[in-house]
Amino acid sequence: MNPRLRLALALAALAGGLVNLALLLLTDHGRSEPLVYLLLAILGVSWSFVAAGLVAWSRRPRNRTGALMVAVGLAFALNGLRLVDTPLGFTLWFLVATLPAAVLAHLIAVFPDGHPTTRLQRVFIAANYAATVPLALVQLLLVEPAQLDCDICPDGLLGIGGARPYGDAVLAVVGLIDVALGLLLLWILVARWRGASRPRRRILAPVALVGMVLAVLYAIRAALLAVVSRPAPLDVGFDLAILTLLMLWPLGFLAGLARIRLDRSAVGDLAIQLSETQPPGRLEQALARALHDPTLKLVYWLPDRHAFVDAAGRQVELPAAAGDRAVTIVRHGDTPVAAMVHDPALDDDPELVRAVAATAQMTIENERLQAEVRAQLEEVRASRARIVEFGDAERRRVERNLHDGAQQRLVNLSLALGIARSQVGTGSDEELAAALDEAATELRRVLTELRELARGIHPVILTEAGLGPALASLAERSSVPVAVAAVPPDRLPPRVEETAYYVASEALANATKHAGATAVTISARRLDGELLVEVSDDGVGGANPEGSGLRGLADRVAALDGCLRVDSPAGAGTRITAELPCAW
Amino acid sequence: MRVVIADDAVLFREGLAKVLEAAGIQVAGQVGDAEGLLARVRADPPDAVVVDIRMPPTHTSEGLDAAQRIRADHPDVGVLVLSQYVEPHHAMRLLEGGARGVGYLLKDRVADVSEVIDAVRRVAGGGSVIDPDVVTQLIGRRRTRDPIQELTDREREVLALMAEGRSNQAICQRLYLSPKTVEAHVRSIFTHLDLAATADDHRRVLAVLAFLRR
Repeated sequence: MNPRLRLALALAALAGGLVNLALLLLTDHGRSEPLVYLLLAILGVSWSFVAAGLVAWSRRPRNRTGALMVAVGLAFALNGLRLVDTPLGFTLWFLVATLPAAVLAHLIAVFPDGHPTTRLQRVFIAANYAATVPLALVQLLLVEPAQLDCDICPDGLLGIGGARPYGDAVLAVVGLIDVALGLLLLWILVARWRGASRPRRRILAPVALVGMVLAVLYAIRAALLAVVSRPAPLDVGFDLAILTLLMLWPLGFLAGLARIRLDRSAVGDLAIQLSETQPPGRLEQALARALHDPTLKLVYWLPDRHAFVDAAGRQVELPAAAGDRAVTIVRHGDTPVAAMVHDPALDDDPELVRAVAATAQMTIENERLQAEVRAQLEEVRASRARIVEFGDAERRRVERNLHDGAQQRLVNLSLALGIARSQVGTGSDEELAAALDEAATELRRVLTELRELARGIHPVILTEAGLGPALASLAERSSVPVAVAAVPPDRLPPRVEETAYYVASEALANATKHAGATAVTISARRLDGELLVEVSDDGVGGANPEGSGLRGLADRVAALDGCLRVDSPAGAGTRITAELPCAW
Repeated sequence: MRVVIADDAVLFREGLAKVLEAAGIQVAGQVGDAEGLLARVRADPPDAVVVDIRMPPTHTSEGLDAAQRIRADHPDVGVLVLSQYVEPHHAMRLLEGGARGVGYLLKDRVADVSEVIDAVRRVAGGGSVIDPDVVTQLIGRRRTRDPIQELTDREREVLALMAEGRSNQAICQRLYLSPKTVEAHVRSIFTHLDLAATADDHRRVLAVLAFLRR
């Protein structure tokens, strides 16, 4: 809030009050005791509202409650017009006489949000203001001045004279309207209380109490005015009671603010609690206690996942901005550390929420790191299990290949040799030669098969000659055309070369077996201390990164702190990219 | 004599068939899986079946399961199970229903065609055949208190041949010993191993193998 505006408003309130006092002292009214009390009470109300309003306004600039309170205070200062003893003075006073109550009713109806949140509230506010100046104008035109308690205006107000036969009826209707507005305000307060969450009720409590009493008093007063046209002593008594309560209202509000100040001591308690070691999840409870919001949830930001997780490391979606939950992001410098998901009522005191967040920030950061570690541990566990499973599957595959391939061929070879041997001396030379030929053929096959199998387990050329020749050899043996676009000129650490080769051969196998590709491009190039391996094909795409093959690749790449990306839109080919740090 | 061969390796199946035919054994059928084997045996039971232990669809122990079914449903059909591995557990599973007309042989034995022919004949005739490698593995296994260590070398040879399912007569021929000597060795072995002596070859092979697996 602008300090100049604050000063101007404070001065305006002061000046209004002083003008009122001057009028009181300079006129005969100073001798009317009830009027002196009333005016002093009104001044008290005016100043207390302006003062409390300015405090609230500067503390919560975005909430219109403070502004409304200042407005209430300034409106009350208008009562001084009553003391100007001319028909015009009375007329002006009468026109704005109900404004203070109307602004007050507006304030009560929208407290503590500062703006209407329901249709009923909007309707009430509109009706409330319609019942001020316009209704007063109607009364001035239709009711005898005497009936409006004006002793000095026999000629009629606004200079309009003439008979006013419906004066009583108009006053009765005005009284009924006041009663209806009072009841409506009461209804709004009750509904608001019933729908309020716990933290919200804490804020609402002092104001709702005063508001309800005020509403009841206003309704009674209006009813009395409607029944008895001018119960002067009663009226003054009621007015004094109402004004006294009104003076207390901003005090109650300030007490509420002070209570929040007291809550700052809850921040201190929180700091002490946080200094003790706490099991995971207890921080959330401590924050919920400090902010009096048992529904508060604390979630941690994981930058590498770009997601929030809870204390157990499970991923959590933040609620939508305009929902029934509010979100406060806890930051360390500019980077988010965590988010508190809480009751929107806490937004009324952002300073407290910020103070709690700031107090807990180190602990939150600490717990965030723990949550991050837990999440990573979870991932590593899963990956480790997959690697073991993958290793087992690989051994089963090798055993199966040996059993069905080389071993079976060697058995066949044994059989062929056995047959040949049984033919020595008994069969013809041709038969013997045929049996031996068969044995030789089988021997060639078994050698080829063993070579292939050995290469599948580990390509010797990779260790002997490096990634470039190994990729070239991979391309030469492929059943689809493979272009090797780039290879690193020098040797890389063995783990990097092996992983790069594995990525290329697995991606090539996928392209050949599953994607139906007709062309594959492999490239491996150094880039800022990383090896970038890229395999793209023109196949059907739609590869599943969670499938066992690609999952295994990702695990293998992750084991080198690298990262694997699979870009495989259906029908548009597949591109598999691995970034491998070379510092191994 | 009629046999059915079950093996998913066509080349091996045909080579084996050729060997058996040359030895005068009629190959009544060749099948590539256990289902085919069971159907063939049901339709026209042969004297013996030769079955590979690993066959489609899962390539685990389909052949062994089929062999057990045949042993249960057709006790007169001899069953010779071939395997690329020495696995005493498989041999014992096969012997669960008794040792009559059962054989468990390493596939490598085909290098000596006469050995396979002999095994098929023995199984078809109701004898038992346990691969020497299985027996070697069982006899050679370490035991805390090993009565086998108390046997003489000759006795150990006799024990191995008994475990392979050989009869006394076959042992005589193998070791060039007289029947009386062999009987003496067998008695001595049974005493040392604390086994009840039995004249029945089938019960004898079971008792010896059970002892060796203990």
